[in-house]
Amino acid sequence: MVSKRKKKFTTGEGAQFMTRKAALKKLQLSLNDFRKLCILKGIYPREPRNRKRAQKGKTGIKTLYHVKDIQFLLHEPIIWKLRDYKIFNKKVGRARAVRDFEKLNRYLNNHPTLKLDHIVKERYPTFIDALRDLDDCLTLCFLFSTFPSLAHVPRDQSALCRRLTLEFLHAVIEAKALRKVFISIKGYYFQAEIKGQTITWIVPHHFSFTPHSKAEVDFKIMSTFVEFYTIMLGFVNFRIYHSLNLFYPPKLSSAIQADAEKALVDEDIFVSERVAALNFPLTKTSNEVVEDDLEIDSFQTGEEDADKIEEAKKEAERIRTLKTLFKGLKFFLNREVPREPLVFIIRCFGGEVSWNKTLFVGSTFDENDESITHQIVDRPSLEKQYISRYYIQPQWVFDSVNARQLLPVNKYFMGEILPPHLSPFIDKERDQQYIPPEEKALYDPTLLEEQHKKDEKMGEQGESEEEESASDKDEEVNDEEDSENEGSDDKEETEENLSGKKPKLSVSVGEVYKEVPWEKNRQEKQEYRLREKMVKNKHKKLYKSMMAGRKERAKEIWLLRKKRRLHDEQDKKPKKGQRKTKNGSATPTKKTKKQKSQ
Amino acid sequence: MSLSKAKKKRVSKKLKVSWRKHVKINDVEEFLEDQRLEERLGPPLSTISNDELFKVDTKPSPELLLSAKERRKLKANKPLKCFSALQPSSKVPDPITKRNRVRSKEERKNDLVKKKELVNRMKGILKHKEIQANANRKLDELRRQSKPKRGEFKTDLWEDGDKAFPIQQDEWASINTKKHNLRGVGVPVKSVRKSVMEKKSPLPAVPPPHPGMSYNPSFQDHQDLLRVVAEKEIKLIKENEHLTRCTSGMFQKVTPEYRDQTWLVEMSEGLPSKDGSSVVENEASDDEYKAVNAPVKNAKKTLKQRRKQKEQTELERQRKLLKLEKKKITDIHKLNLLNKKIEQIEKKQGILREKRLKKAQEKKNQTKVLSANKFEDPDLEFNMGQEIAGNLKDLKVEGNLLLDRFKSMQKRNIIAPTKRRVRKKAKVKKYTKPGHKDEDWKKTVAR
Repeated sequence: MVSKRKKKFTTGEGAQFMTRKAALKKLQLSLNDFRKLCILKGIYPREPRNRKRAQKGKTGIKTLYHVKDIQFLLHEPIIWKLRDYKIFNKKVGRARAVRDFEKLNRYLNNHPTLKLDHIVKERYPTFIDALRDLDDCLTLCFLFSTFPSLAHVPRDQSALCRRLTLEFLHAVIEAKALRKVFISIKGYYFQAEIKGQTITWIVPHHFSFTPHSKAEVDFKIMSTFVEFYTIMLGFVNFRIYHSLNLFYPPKLSSAIQADAEKALVDEDIFVSERVAALNFPLTKTSNEVVEDDLEIDSFQTGEEDADKIEEAKKEAERIRTLKTLFKGLKFFLNREVPREPLVFIIRCFGGEVSWNKTLFVGSTFDENDESITHQIVDRPSLEKQYISRYYIQPQWVFDSVNARQLLPVNKYFMGEILPPHLSPFIDKERDQQYIPPEEKALYDPTLLEEQHKKDEKMGEQGESEEEESASDKDEEVNDEEDSENEGSDDKEETEENLSGKKPKLSVSVGEVYKEVPWEKNRQEKQEYRLREKMVKNKHKKLYKSMMAGRKERAKEIWLLRKKRRLHDEQDKKPKKGQRKTKNGSATPTKKTKKQKSQ
Repeated sequence: MSLSKAKKKRVSKKLKVSWRKHVKINDVEEFLEDQRLEERLGPPLSTISNDELFKVDTKPSPELLLSAKERRKLKANKPLKCFSALQPSSKVPDPITKRNRVRSKEERKNDLVKKKELVNRMKGILKHKEIQANANRKLDELRRQSKPKRGEFKTDLWEDGDKAFPIQQDEWASINTKKHNLRGVGVPVKSVRKSVMEKKSPLPAVPPPHPGMSYNPSFQDHQDLLRVVAEKEIKLIKENEHLTRCTSGMFQKVTPEYRDQTWLVEMSEGLPSKDGSSVVENEASDDEYKAVNAPVKNAKKTLKQRRKQKEQTELERQRKLLKLEKKKITDIHKLNLLNKKIEQIEKKQGILREKRLKKAQEKKNQTKVLSANKFEDPDLEFNMGQEIAGNLKDLKVEGNLLLDRFKSMQKRNIIAPTKRRVRKKAKVKKYTKPGHKDEDWKKTVAR
């Protein structure tokens, strides 16, 4: 007897994959239902290693799924609901066709509903998992909240999105979790940190809805994504609210609810409007303070770790100050300013905001309030102005948040040409790049001050040229010196001071243990080399190339700096010549000009 | 009486049949019919005065004052229109004054029973049917209330600790035991596969924006972005140029006149012309069969030849063996060289392996091929220098966020890139039947 011949593609890659058509047949679903199910369950097509084998010898490119994925779908209870939908649609269609409205009504009132709670739990077993995937969810929900009712989109979807996103914004405000903001031409970028997870999302600009052509985007698919994400966002909101000791759905404190206004409208609408205003604190379930920023424990570890811990501590301190950035400030928004993002940002950092009463509900004080510190305007001039407040452009708020401190307002005054709005999302790699001093000053206001001082000095130097050369030298030294060297200098000074003191008590002169200054450095270097040796063979090449790259970049930066220095010196030289020929009268005018521009 | 009038024919009316046939009672019957009609419908309209027939409408009809809902309610209470045929329309009264009627169920009930029922109802004692109906109603109400409402979130999904899988091992029972016991209880005993859970692409969902996309970018950033955009555009243009050069640019173009001129000549190439010069004639007109190859001969080898052949093969074999033996000895001497060769090969393989690994690593960040359609990166959002307003109010919004999301999902291998299929409607040829041409029907149908 000859053993049975093995058929092709019954094992290995050929048996692992399944075309979409086969999957449809196995699940007994229509293509639309299958797509929906896949999106809800998070099953996506796969790319095989060997396409021809996976497609059972057929050429061309087909959409493939794992057989196990499809088997996983097979167990899903909502498949039955999808089949119910099919039957429901048939029944409704028939009743409508024969004009049997009684039945039609009955069917429509008893429509099947998809319950997706268990899928959310299944896909995100932990809360952190859900937070990690919140970027997509928030961006889509914020986008859909701006949509009118459209074909293929459930009627209440955009309203639901709007409600959930507003609730999320409230949660961010209460948790003071916002970290970075950015205005791009696409929309507003926000970055928040919740439970240690950074969440980035985009909010479209006001009135940004443009009708989409069918060829570009499949609306049905996007709407299915949104359907899932709304449920996910709802549960995430619930969890965040409860972790912040807030009621969910949000409740407003009773003090706000003026009875006269309340009598006019429906209770639910009244509350939802105030929630949409983003201007009122929510009621807490208890007065316990939620302390989520943890103290960083200090373990006895290596020096590098110590540095890291130090860095982390500094960062935590900076964030603590950021959380109360606008505390005690009172803002008033003019009509032309986008209300929602600004209110959100200002309230996130503890500021108070209001706007014109007729613009939107929820304004707390009027324009004529004397205690307002900043009025945000986006027009070249204003007729009636108060002396007690700054009239600034909205960019100041965004830039201040990104700089993590209140920036000087003079550059942002009404009608002023604004400084560029820089992205806070630039990568850390940038410290290995040459940044011209002007650009550096844009990121770091302390450097800005130095730059100004330098400029002023240059102005003054017309009178005393000797000083100029000395200070220039100092600056050069400062540029090239590292912080470590400075530290060592200090130590030497203290040692000198100690040796200068005379002992009061008569004690025999002992041998002073002299620390060799370079010995420590040498030791460190040696240790470093030893550590370098410990790099695994696997990573050795990567490490080497990394270090070489670093060196190369450092060299490049050094070279560019040197060029700049030489260039600056070159610039100064002819000036000196001019000054020698002319009188010193030209310099003061220049100085005044600069002061004006500041 | 004139003569011209035909003389009345006398007819015998002796029999009942002939009487009926020949007597004329039309006028009498007509009169009686009229009378009956009058009895049914009332007097003829001509006899009624205008005041009775018409009346001046001074008030709006009460129905118009009602709301649409109320009117609908009134209408619903009215008997159906289809039963109007059953309603008596004549004004003639029923000749049987005391007509028998089937009494309704309520009327047929005994007085005692009626009284009993009333008492029961007062006491709150219900019939079985009613009790059941009430229970059903309550159930339905409950079912309706328990139906999940959209946008209502009342439970904490992650309440029971952050556990990836609800069934956990403990010291009392193994996972398998627990799974066995929990089957059919409603607790999901199947865990999700790891490959389903992991992210399909290492790319971030919302990538950090290019600093040049700021509404008020610094000059340097803007230039950077401009360069990126321009490079992409240049690449596209180059590609396009290449395509035109390789397709339509490759062929020379002629004027339509020239094409028409040469067309006939080209098309008649190879056809027999009038003078018969281009026809190739077959020369072989002989009837004799002639093979192309020479005829096969079955020539046998002689014994001597066979012996020689054998000897030769044997010699050959021995020579080969000798060579192999010799090679073995020389290989021992060549050991160093061989080692070097192996090393070389291994080195080469190592390099190739590294390359392969590197490629695989790079491939991880790239979009996978999920469908027959290729993924195309969307254009970068970009404001030209003159479009940058520098303030929020006059900001020119660029790009479509929905499209951006859609493309991002395609890039992250979540959606397979698709093309919208446009179904073309089949072209239906329309024509009128010969008998239905304009005006034709007048001649054929309406004749």
